Amino acid sequence: MALKHRPATWPWYLLLAAILIGLVAGLWVATKRVHYEWRWERVPQYFAYRAEVPQESPIAGRVSAIQTDGALRRVVVTPADGGAPVVLPVETVQVAVGDTLDREDSVGDNHEWRIGPLTQGLWVTIWISFVSGLVGLLIGLITGLCRISDNPVLRGLAVIYIELIRGTPLLVQIFIFYFFIGTVLNLDRIVAGIGALALFVGAYIAEIIRAGIQSIAKGQTEAARSLGMSAFQTMSYIVLPQAFKRVLPPLAGQFISLIKDSSLVSVIAITDLTKSGREIITSTFATFEIWFTVALLYLVVTSLLSQLLFWLERRFARSD
Amino acid sequence: MIEVSNLLKVFEGRGQTVRAVDDVSTAIAKGEVVVIIGPSGSGKSTFLRCLNGLEEFDDGQVIIDGIDLAGSKTNLNAVRREVGMVFQHFNLFPHKTVLENVTLAQRVVRKRKAGEANQKAMALLTKVGIAEKANEYPSRLSGGQQQRVAIARALAMDPKVMLFDEPTSALDPEMVGEVLDVMKQLAREGMTMAVVTHEMGFAREVAQRVLFMDAGRILEDAPPAQFFTAPREPRAQAFLKQVL
Repeated sequence: MALKHRPATWPWYLLLAAILIGLVAGLWVATKRVHYEWRWERVPQYFAYRAEVPQESPIAGRVSAIQTDGALRRVVVTPADGGAPVVLPVETVQVAVGDTLDREDSVGDNHEWRIGPLTQGLWVTIWISFVSGLVGLLIGLITGLCRISDNPVLRGLAVIYIELIRGTPLLVQIFIFYFFIGTVLNLDRIVAGIGALALFVGAYIAEIIRAGIQSIAKGQTEAARSLGMSAFQTMSYIVLPQAFKRVLPPLAGQFISLIKDSSLVSVIAITDLTKSGREIITSTFATFEIWFTVALLYLVVTSLLSQLLFWLERRFARSD
Repeated sequence: MIEVSNLLKVFEGRGQTVRAVDDVSTAIAKGEVVVIIGPSGSGKSTFLRCLNGLEEFDDGQVIIDGIDLAGSKTNLNAVRREVGMVFQHFNLFPHKTVLENVTLAQRVVRKRKAGEANQKAMALLTKVGIAEKANEYPSRLSGGQQQRVAIARALAMDPKVMLFDEPTSALDPEMVGEVLDVMKQLAREGMTMAVVTHEMGFAREVAQRVLFMDAGRILEDAPPAQFFTAPREPRAQAFLKQVL
């Protein structure tokens, strides 16, 4: 008989599956009760769609021929002054042989792929989060170092900044940044949005970095200083690399929060993923489908980021 | 090489002040090996740490190779690169390989080129008998191996003095010998050394002088032959009775 009795785990997985199926069923029943009509087929066009682009004639002249080339039609326009004819390929023809055209008259339509508002919004969310995360990391690093400085001015400023940011709601900070600081400095709304997010995340990163630095054993600093390294060299070669490795998990959590919090910049009319979703809903009323899609997109981005940081963490663990 | 006069270091905390180093004056000549012994809490480690300014002392004077540590124009970093230190807990840089541990300060402090620093490092790692671990991380090494790397790291700066702060106290007994052997070799080569240790055998064999400290003061300063056979101070007699 084994020393350790291991109970079978499959009943628990069965229970988990049952609960999940129950939740989905509940959702289905709930939407039935409010008579919601699901129209998922409308969603893909907001990622990318085929746009109709009118093909204009670059010259004035007469349609002398329309050739067929598979699905494509070639409209031949001959200028009135007897110059060289121009061939315009189109998918649907709107003119007939013998028609007279002015310059910029349309001869037909072509179709081409365009990216939809959800894709655009997703892109805005990603790059706003990326830039404000990067700036926030820099702010956090500097503030974190000031926070443990011996200089009362640096320390005082750092503490006040951190307390102000952590003690007020991000939404209010965004409004203040946009309406007050943005007006005073005449900032673009994107700059104001990124600035507010960077200042917000910077305060939290500062505390993470401070804790990371303080977690590095004093002997490390002593060893470095005893070799003649300056305080700055000790910080950049010895303490920060070790601290950074240690704070990677909480830092990852902070960046994931930042991506989600970036949805708040939609209140100052930045068309990020959330704002795009809201705009689509006002024109389609596909409320449930769009919000579920928006949530899923956030989930995809945050999961990818946490995978990336997890990979980074494993790479850094080589020296353990 | 080292001159200490009227050194005072006070620790304050929880309402009481402790004079960890209390009016200590001594000198260590070039090429001399001085072993500092005494019961725990006697201030011997604090005294040693004052010698490279790792501990900021409250009063008195420390002169290293003619430079006053507390002088207003003294660049402490410049003094420290001439004074190597080996710690009880090795304090190797865990995120750097053994080789990088030995080359880092050479490159950023001594501004040596990578090739030169590597060459120097490999020569020293060979000397302490650990060249084959050059590309390992410190966590893969035993305590004795780590301490030998730490000695190589300090020697890489070409120090004029080496300070050893209980270099074998954190080691398993079977690893003490390999570290002491490296230290003995250094002493034979004429390195100026100040060693805080509980290894009486090492003191007897290698030291030119033994300083016995208790309660922040140097109570006895004698050659080992005299100190170990006929200590004058009653407290030194009591201490030796306990440890020998």
